[in-house]
Amino acid sequence: MPQVTINGKTYTGPEGTTVLTALRALGYDVPTVCHDPRLTPYGGCRLCVVNIKGAPKPVTSCNTVIADGMIVDTHTDELQDLRRTLLKLLARDYPADQVARFPDKQFHRYLKEYGVNATGKPQPAKLDVSHPYIHVDMSQCVTCYRCVRICDEVQGQFVWQAWNRGDETEIRPATGTNLATSECVSCGACVDTCPSGALEDKSLLLHGVPTQWTKTICSYCGTGCEVNVGSRDNRITTIRPALEGPSNHGHTCVKGRYAFEYVYAKDRVTSPMIRRNGEWEKITWDEAIQFVSDRFRDTIARHGPDSVGLLTSARGTNEENYVGQKFARLVLGTNNVDCCARVCHSPTAAAMKMTLGTGAATNSLDDIELAQTILVCGANPTDGHPVTGARIKQAARRGANLIIVDPREIELNQFATLHLPLRPGTNVIVFNAMGATIVEEGLVDEAFVRERITEYDEYKKFIRQFLPEKVTDICGVPAGKIREAARLYATATPSLSVHGLGMTEHIQGTEGIMALVNLALLTGNIGKPGTGINPLRGQNNVQGAPHMGSEPNLLAGYVPIKDARERFEAAYHAQLPASKGKNMIEMLEAAQTGSFKVLWAIGYDIMLTNPNAHETRRALKEMDLVIVQDLFLNQTAIEFGDLFLPAASSFEKDGTFMNGERRIQRIRKAVNPQGEARSDWEIVCDVARAMGHGDQFNYQSAEEIWDEVRSLWNEGAGISYDRLDQLGGLQWPCYDENDPGMGVMHADHFSHGKTTPLRRIEYVAPPEITNDEFPFLLTTGRNLYQYNAATQTNRTANAGMHTTDYLNVSKPDARRLNLRDGETVRLRSRQGTATLPVQISDTVKPGELYATFHSVRVFLNEITSSHRDRYTKTPEYKVTAVCLEKV
Amino acid sequence: VASHSSTALPRRNPGSAASKSFYSLTKVALESKACQGLACYVARHLDQGTWDKACAQPGKLYCLGKCYAGPATDATSSRPIIEVHSRQPVVLERIVNGGARSLKSYTAGGGYQALAQCRQQSPEKTIQAVEQSGLRGRGGAGFPAGRKWREVFSQPGKQKYVVANADEGDPGAYIDRFIIEDDPHRLIEAMAIAGHAVGASHGFIYLRKEYPVAEQVLRAALDEARGAGLIGKKAGFELEITMGHGSYVCGEETALLNSIEGRRAEVRQRPPYPTEQGLWGKPTLVNNVETLVCVPWILEHGADAYRALGFSKSQGTKLVSLNSLFNRPGLYEVEFGVTVRHIVETLGGGLKSGTLRGVIIGGPLAGILPASLLDTPFGFDELRAVGAMVGHGGIVAFDEKTSIADIVRHVAEFAAAESCGKCTPCRRGSPRLAELPARDETDDLVAALLNTSLCGLGTGLGEFTASALKHYAKELAPCLK
Repeated sequence: MPQVTINGKTYTGPEGTTVLTALRALGYDVPTVCHDPRLTPYGGCRLCVVNIKGAPKPVTSCNTVIADGMIVDTHTDELQDLRRTLLKLLARDYPADQVARFPDKQFHRYLKEYGVNATGKPQPAKLDVSHPYIHVDMSQCVTCYRCVRICDEVQGQFVWQAWNRGDETEIRPATGTNLATSECVSCGACVDTCPSGALEDKSLLLHGVPTQWTKTICSYCGTGCEVNVGSRDNRITTIRPALEGPSNHGHTCVKGRYAFEYVYAKDRVTSPMIRRNGEWEKITWDEAIQFVSDRFRDTIARHGPDSVGLLTSARGTNEENYVGQKFARLVLGTNNVDCCARVCHSPTAAAMKMTLGTGAATNSLDDIELAQTILVCGANPTDGHPVTGARIKQAARRGANLIIVDPREIELNQFATLHLPLRPGTNVIVFNAMGATIVEEGLVDEAFVRERITEYDEYKKFIRQFLPEKVTDICGVPAGKIREAARLYATATPSLSVHGLGMTEHIQGTEGIMALVNLALLTGNIGKPGTGINPLRGQNNVQGAPHMGSEPNLLAGYVPIKDARERFEAAYHAQLPASKGKNMIEMLEAAQTGSFKVLWAIGYDIMLTNPNAHETRRALKEMDLVIVQDLFLNQTAIEFGDLFLPAASSFEKDGTFMNGERRIQRIRKAVNPQGEARSDWEIVCDVARAMGHGDQFNYQSAEEIWDEVRSLWNEGAGISYDRLDQLGGLQWPCYDENDPGMGVMHADHFSHGKTTPLRRIEYVAPPEITNDEFPFLLTTGRNLYQYNAATQTNRTANAGMHTTDYLNVSKPDARRLNLRDGETVRLRSRQGTATLPVQISDTVKPGELYATFHSVRVFLNEITSSHRDRYTKTPEYKVTAVCLEKV
Repeated sequence: VASHSSTALPRRNPGSAASKSFYSLTKVALESKACQGLACYVARHLDQGTWDKACAQPGKLYCLGKCYAGPATDATSSRPIIEVHSRQPVVLERIVNGGARSLKSYTAGGGYQALAQCRQQSPEKTIQAVEQSGLRGRGGAGFPAGRKWREVFSQPGKQKYVVANADEGDPGAYIDRFIIEDDPHRLIEAMAIAGHAVGASHGFIYLRKEYPVAEQVLRAALDEARGAGLIGKKAGFELEITMGHGSYVCGEETALLNSIEGRRAEVRQRPPYPTEQGLWGKPTLVNNVETLVCVPWILEHGADAYRALGFSKSQGTKLVSLNSLFNRPGLYEVEFGVTVRHIVETLGGGLKSGTLRGVIIGGPLAGILPASLLDTPFGFDELRAVGAMVGHGGIVAFDEKTSIADIVRHVAEFAAAESCGKCTPCRRGSPRLAELPARDETDDLVAALLNTSLCGLGTGLGEFTASALKHYAKELAPCLK
């Protein structure tokens, strides 16, 4: 490794280390306004110049790489004078009042350090206040190009552009008349990197510069971005990405970065309430706890423990989910406990558990940068998981092959090598056809198959019937394209796949994943960096919630009750319920027949999010008591709630989340809960105490709960709060406190053994078939600005960025039906109707429709299918036959 | 950890409106415009009306390559004196004899034989010839051409490029213009040789928009060469023209590469040099037109014949172009080693307009040579030693009608208008310098320009101003407040 001498001190670092990194490591610093570790070194501002012995003139330290024997001086009088001259040039027209108002900004600190006065005035003509979150004042621009570069190199959106040249260079959006009308996706990266006051969060200007920063994890999707929450007077004023965030590397999206105002929404409920004679009335916590415990006791006494049940939340912490399921089992005495993984990735977890032994991502998000080929299946990452989406986009720009398997065109198509536009519900066909191609064309990884795979001959024989030419008519994808995709995946390795709910929310959800896993097994694209099967998990803790045992047949650590009953009973000094528990779907079914009476739904709006709302409504109506625990009176509470318990948001409590790459990360309390709101676990523990189980629920902190979890879960045993605080997130398996965790699983053996069989997956056509009455197939998905039922996002300015769900209709269909953009149509399915505006789009094929699912007003789940995955009962949201009528 | 490739990433929207806005000639047309370049500025008293027109027109237009007739307009159509004053003509041989625009006339004089010879021999042999000739880059920096060729040749990877820098932007220079207009096949032949030698199957000629006749001639010549199979798919070498849109900084090689890629034409940090990561991140040979056209001659006559011309560490001949204030303004091929005085007095015949105050050699962004230093030999290192440069070879003399303060202001305004805007000293310092601030501040600005500029544009302005302060201190001092 090269060794250099800087101001007389020596530094040794790896090849490629910049002089700037080296001098900072030695405790020196030089000013720079154009440097950001997230970006390619630029060398534009020239403030970071240093002397290198032997060089004819100073060099910029940000983009000069250390060489052995280099002798560097960083602070000679001459260098300081040069920096002062450059700062004076930058400060000549810079508004002086802003320097005084925000002394801590990076550029402003340099001015102070070098004794340079800004001598400019505000220039109102350079203000742009059009954007809901971002304040633009280009009179404070120091032309460092960081916004331009981060929009290009990190987000890949190319919004900020440098116009003109020389001193007339202006930074403004590539298109549109202002930021609001540009193609900005509001990720906020430009604001985060801006060293001056040119770009700033409006929330910070309104609520003040933070006086406290709290590192925590985003409360939206399962990417698990680490963020720093800035607060002042117990009020969040801004959220910034953490540079060291292992899943996001200093990036966030419009949701994680800006959509936090729901914490302060006017309709946030901050005290317990009970509905009497149809009206909600405030009550005390004591009354509420007493009420819950009385009614549970009473119902269990009359109808037995299996007449009650609990739903925990995938937005809650691991600790809360653990406490919730423990409460159901030990206090209520039932296995009737479930969480909303039921309606998303349960098929992934089940399929991967069966085939690989662990129901979670095999690799890490960092592997995206290592893959030569990336297969994106049934996912729209740039909307659903924007930070992951941006990483995939950048990987493709750097030359990785990108294959999109999706019925419609998504944003990533712009960067894609191949698109397989399959007919909705034919995933199994397409992956089997790729498998058949790999076998037929001899692209199998022979060594891997010999060592790690069984039943290859059976698979080989079985899969022939799926050769692309034989199935092209069923899936609608040209055979040649399937073959090309198979070749790329098998030969341009390492190949990695990511998938979303377009894979799981089908009657063959679980089987579709198994068919995908087969491809990885056939080609050896597993157990190595840059490979694997990687579900993009939808909610911040949807990986963790079921993993903590919030499923009827599983206990903490995702172990089946039948395998671990004795171990847990010994640890709890108590019996676990004997009867088979009901999952969420089954609880609702039981309610309709009168055998299920009381539901406690924590952070889960089943009324709005379950498919086929009619059935949900019928079920909730039949129940004796519906307890809703949430931040807001959600749709379930509005229609059927009897008691409301106000919960703390994730900014208001401690705990851990588990992201989609098996990473446990700490969330930390940034602000006190609003009003009387409390953490989910505290509420559950209070009810447990009131029901006589105080000794089993005597936790003083989230950490105590976590320590109990890891005492019961071998693969998480090494993940302590102390380590999480010191190291950041850790990926399980992590067996002890010296274990660094595991980024890539299944390297030498699968979790359940050395080998695994290839599965022979038959194709089953979706029952939702089109006919003369219902000629279209509808699929659904997430929009960038909204998040699931929009409980959070609709209470932020994001609501204005996606005001309604639209129905995407292809041009030929629109022409045939004489539809215009924006015109309202009624969708009718076998289940019900929904009304929404039309958006004519090239992204959908004729005969297919697509809509997002966030709007309460549209309520798309009035029409979605009631069919379910054959293994996990996950609803088939993604295929609904509908007809379309003008209103 | 996310790794960011240091190579250029393909963009979704090359050629966007924003990157087009970088160029001056995307905003105003070339037609009916007068030149505002330094050569025309110092000659404004020869035709005040034309100069006034130049000042009144919208936008900036620096140098139409008609400095021998300045103040010039796009309608100026006269030709300069063109003469050979070296023992052997290397570049001007055909041009002084009426030029060779057609393939027929070029091949009749032995054209494309060097290419044929080159294609029959190993790249190594061609590169060795260039190395042994002592040929140095004619674009300004004087970097040994053979070393550059070898660097590109020795890079791994299949995809490489050769680029001819025909963005002759220095006011005062009209050298490449006449090479292309009168001997276009020489450049095409040289490019094909370079491609064969370094292993590039694709070449670009980056030609400035201010030379519409050169574009027309070159396109016709390319068509003919392609038709004859000398270039094109079968010949294994594609060659195309990329037109500039009005930007001096595109003569800087990395800005030029960005421009070809359709990006904003800002300067890239070097290293990595284009020889390692050039066009689209691939190894790229970038040579000036005059450098390239010497190569066929070297192959035809041998490296030693070339090496025998010139002196010291400056081998071969050099074209110099003289501005309109001379009695005999024109394009001359001289051997390195003659004195500047010889060029100014013997070839140029002295000034027709007044007393010589100094000459600016190799473009405005280099040092001024005062009249007292005219006996300096014309060579890369010899001029460097007195704070001046060979540069590209334009020689602009000025007389007492233009004060030194006016020249400094004009040059700083030129630099400000042509700065790409990437680095602070050039972007912010050049317009400030044009205001002629007090001596302390001027000194600070010069120090910042010299020591912290990203490319030769800012450094050159620093060198120019430093030499003005040195040689014309008394005259300049009262103007700095």
